Amino acid sequence: MVGRLMGLTLLVFGCGGRPPAARAADPLRIAAAPVPADNPTTDSKVELGRRLFYDADLSINGTMSCATCHGQRRAFAHGTRTHPGALGHAGRRNVLSLANVAWSRTLTWADPRVTTLERQATIPITGVEPIEMGLGGAEHVIAERLGADACYRQMFAAAFPEEGGTIALATVAKALAAFQRTMVSVESPWDRYRRGDTTAMTAEARRGAELFAGTAECAGCHAGPFLSDGSFHRLEPDSARRPDRGLAEITGNALDAGRFRTPPLRHVALTGPYFHDGSAPTLVDAIGRHRAVAPAVDRLTSAEMGELVAFLTALTDSAFVTDPRYQMPRRFCGRAR
Amino acid sequence: MRAACYLVVVLGSLLSRPTAAQTAPPDCRPAEPMPPELGAWPDRAPLAAAADRAMLGGAVLPVGRAVDASLHRTPDVNFVSLPEQPGGSVSFGGMFTVEVVEAGSYRVAIGSAAWIDVLVDGAAVLSTAHGRGPGCSGIRKMVTFPLPAGRHVLQLSANAERTLPLLVARVP
Ligand code: HEC
Ligand code: HEC
Repeated sequence: MVGRLMGLTLLVFGCGGRPPAARAADPLRIAAAPVPADNPTTDSKVELGRRLFYDADLSINGTMSCATCHGQRRAFAHGTRTHPGALGHAGRRNVLSLANVAWSRTLTWADPRVTTLERQATIPITGVEPIEMGLGGAEHVIAERLGADACYRQMFAAAFPEEGGTIALATVAKALAAFQRTMVSVESPWDRYRRGDTTAMTAEARRGAELFAGTAECAGCHAGPFLSDGSFHRLEPDSARRPDRGLAEITGNALDAGRFRTPPLRHVALTGPYFHDGSAPTLVDAIGRHRAVAPAVDRLTSAEMGELVAFLTALTDSAFVTDPRYQMPRRFCGRAR
Repeated sequence: MRAACYLVVVLGSLLSRPTAAQTAPPDCRPAEPMPPELGAWPDRAPLAAAADRAMLGGAVLPVGRAVDASLHRTPDVNFVSLPEQPGGSVSFGGMFTVEVVEAGSYRVAIGSAAWIDVLVDGAAVLSTAHGRGPGCSGIRKMVTFPLPAGRHVLQLSANAERTLPLLVARVP
């Protein structure tokens, strides 16, 4: 697994001086994220991926784009427990943030098979568990709808010259992946503080950072620059009444029931409600539900709880959530939409 | 293994029934009464939406009157302000003029999950509340906006159907 990942490792941003590249190469020295060898990032792909991310023609009835669930103001998460699909089918899991998603070894709450953004992008478009964008079995409409637009034909030709500009699910997924790899966010107050700007975090948040890494026992799982070990843990006893068995649904191993991937915590103040099913409405609630893996949470004073929350709030990079490069594009092919 | 996977797929789609409904399902028994301000909802007359700014004068939606809005294909709509969810080429959208006599909170209730914007002086107003309608009412989505007196533009976008049940009500 690791070997394969390493084989795929290239630089994320091969697109000459794009600002995200400058952000990634900061003194915190976060190693470059892996990029599949067959989908190098280019400016044209990113531009196409951005248009597709906001295009509701990727849903069966034209009502839902990726951005319907992944909104920039919430760091590309959503403010509801779960979000229904384009045809109204109930959602199953809480919408994850997409900030720094290029670094995640496995994607989604509990499916270790999903290791690339290219593979992941087809899940909401064609998936049936649950039905989200509803194009399962109707993939041909992608070529019909997008191919009817001269500007899309031009954009696909520029992004995929080696594939003859083919408009299909596979190229759509590649472009979406390339765009999402530019969603880099490492400019939170916590980053500035770690780089030596002692004024970047309040005293309360600084005490919270110490608790997080120390006595509160959080950093064992919420580790590294994105605050996730990428592994699967069970925070609460599994019970047959829980409809979501987590990792066990994939592995078939009863011991994996109730295990979910440690979620990265950047922007966590914007991404509530929390947990795989959105069942924790607030940060205090989410922290309190860790008692089985971090018994110290039961001994936290309310002041300490406030400090932890202040630290988690300092993981919000407000420039990222308003950055025009990730907004819905208003012009394509040199024309206003 | 293969067979097991297919089984899961089938079960999954049976279990997750669509919740979308333009009208209440016939066997639905209301758990809560309709609040009086939404009382006009069942009584709807057709009203054509505007597709561009010039048509807005002829698409006036009175507060408190429920309509079956007839929308336009999204590619034919020239929104006054690009909605956050404009909808794809196969979706429907449109605009109405809403005349607010008295400043206050106004609730836009619709029978689908379409995107709703109210523009005051051309800019989208931030909503103050979101919700579903009362059970079995057929109201799928309600969004509340604080509005000053004046003529404002209601934009509806990313709707799956050409027709959309719609009511703008003053919040008491
Ligand atoms: C109906 C809402 C919805 C839509 C539409 C949607 N997503 Fe998601 N997305 C989710 C949910 C829910 C999850 C978590 C799923 C899980 O864990 O099983 C998720 C997870 C993801 C992840 C994994 C993030 C991580 O940290 O592992 C990525 C990447 C992603 N979505 C990208 C996309 C893209 C690209 C599109 C458009 C093609 C899209 N999504 C459309 C709801 C949605
Ligand atoms: C044993 C590993 C582990 C430890 C230790 C741990 N967490 Fe978690 N954390 C997780 C997992 C796994 C989840 C997701 C649980 C779920 O969805 O059911 C999670 C979820 C969260 C969430 C919600 C994030 C979201 O997007 O839903 C927050 C906030 C959080 N943890 C903070 C903390 C804090 C603060 C501590 C220290 C007190 C801590 N965690 C300790 C594994 C851990």
